[in-house]
Amino acid sequence: MTVHTDVVCPFCGCLCDDLEVTVEDGHIKGVKNACGISRSKFMNHDKNRLESPTIDGVEVPLEKAVDEAADILSTSRRPLVYGLSSTECVAIAKAVELAELAGGVVDNTSSVCHGPTILALQQVGESKTTLGEVKNRADLVIFWGSNPSQAHLRHVLRYSVMAKGRFIPNGRKDRYIVAVDIKMTGTARMADEFVRVEPNRDFELLQSLRAAVRGHEPSLESVAGVPREKVMELAERMKAARFGIVFFGLGLTQSEGRHMNIDAAIGLVAELNNHTKFLLTPMRGHYNVGGANTVTTWQTGYPYAVDFSRGYPRYNPGEYTSIDLLAKGEADSALIVASDPAATFPAGVVRNLAKIPVVTLDQKVTPTTMLSKVVIPVATAGVEAEGTAYRMDGVPLRLRKLVEPREGVHSDAEVLEMIIERMGG
Amino acid sequence: MSKLNVTLVSGRTAQQGVGLEEGKTSESYVNSVNHVQLSPDDAANMKLKEGGAVSVETRHGSVVVNWRPSKELEPGMAFFPYGPWANQVYGYETEGTGMPMFKGIDATVAPSKGKVKSIEELVKSMGGGKK
Repeated sequence: MTVHTDVVCPFCGCLCDDLEVTVEDGHIKGVKNACGISRSKFMNHDKNRLESPTIDGVEVPLEKAVDEAADILSTSRRPLVYGLSSTECVAIAKAVELAELAGGVVDNTSSVCHGPTILALQQVGESKTTLGEVKNRADLVIFWGSNPSQAHLRHVLRYSVMAKGRFIPNGRKDRYIVAVDIKMTGTARMADEFVRVEPNRDFELLQSLRAAVRGHEPSLESVAGVPREKVMELAERMKAARFGIVFFGLGLTQSEGRHMNIDAAIGLVAELNNHTKFLLTPMRGHYNVGGANTVTTWQTGYPYAVDFSRGYPRYNPGEYTSIDLLAKGEADSALIVASDPAATFPAGVVRNLAKIPVVTLDQKVTPTTMLSKVVIPVATAGVEAEGTAYRMDGVPLRLRKLVEPREGVHSDAEVLEMIIERMGG
Repeated sequence: MSKLNVTLVSGRTAQQGVGLEEGKTSESYVNSVNHVQLSPDDAANMKLKEGGAVSVETRHGSVVVNWRPSKELEPGMAFFPYGPWANQVYGYETEGTGMPMFKGIDATVAPSKGKVKSIEELVKSMGGGKK
């Protein structure tokens, strides 16, 4: 029996790095310190696995599946390489290499999560920090359109709410927590203050807060459903903080305004820095979506939605993003790595995905494997394969290999390399 | 009341996270995403029966799902956990951003005698499972 300590969890952007995993006879027998989702990932990693590589649902040897994948991708005019946020960085680099070789488009799941965040950051910059700084210093924490009680279960324990830090000796008692949301979430119930904003009106509230920080009282009695007095009170509280942070989520990126909401949030934070230290951090969902952006940027100059059809990288979200490419019927094949677009994209574009030959690398049966022509089972990064992942604050951490994958099952990076070699790369 | 106008939002839930790690074909995952959440007041006004199905419709599509009450929601709001059922009613217009509107869209909810599709039936209805 081996007990692995300080194991990094490969589920969400928190990348909790204090897990204890017990391995016996090559199998995971127990996990300590994990949240419910993390426990489910480690304890169920061997359940419902894809049994074999398949072509059109028929089991084939790995070499044949790799050959078929290479044929599909090298004979397509506009292959789409998508996913990449739930795998490690070498696999992401290989996927970018493959997209370049195929003259295709490489996109990652940030195009449907924090893509609008990236658009805003590229326009106006960002005021960043690490989660360690938040733990040690933040006395005002604002969750805006984010709900860690459902999506980042240990964030509040390890970093943002309950955690005791160097200058926050009493933990929860030393922090004031605000939740801005359209519904009374678990995070809102735990907060000192809940601000209920009307759906699709975050932009107005952010801009009014910015004006209030400058000393301008809103002329209307309420803004986005929030009384004027409450807006002024919150602005004063923000100015009075020693170290404030906004953790924002998809409540801002997936509603009306999209990147302009983030632009407004950054503007508010910039304004607050005239008075005190204030920062903002996106609550990244998939554990290595940060890595997908980082690796793609260091290889191509751009974080997602990168087109290689002219032989050099071009970037244009709204055109080379997966949803748009599929909606217009431009993509004539797809390589999906560590993602399930058939379960996460609107049905209208899934119908288009189902019309083209799809090659999918995954561990388990998913709606995407159900509509794929070629399916190749792969090892789970952080459980059966090692690698690096980037936490939501941009800190890279090392994922461990705890158990051997099943016989004949390789990592994402190894399978991508096989396809690249077969394509003549 | 036969049909209720709501503002529909989608999002992650912890149960969906736990379920997807067991597998997308697992009962745990399917049950975590094949329902819509409504405010208890709206459900009472519509005289919805526990265990019954509802039809959720937007200008992009419709889907039959189970329903659950949620005290987190104000009347007039509905919450759909992320997943293939929710995605039947979202559109793919991104307005040049790459991002569809997954939150804050207009929808109607009505009682339904229809059957909630299985995940396999849903994928098949989108053209999968044939090749």
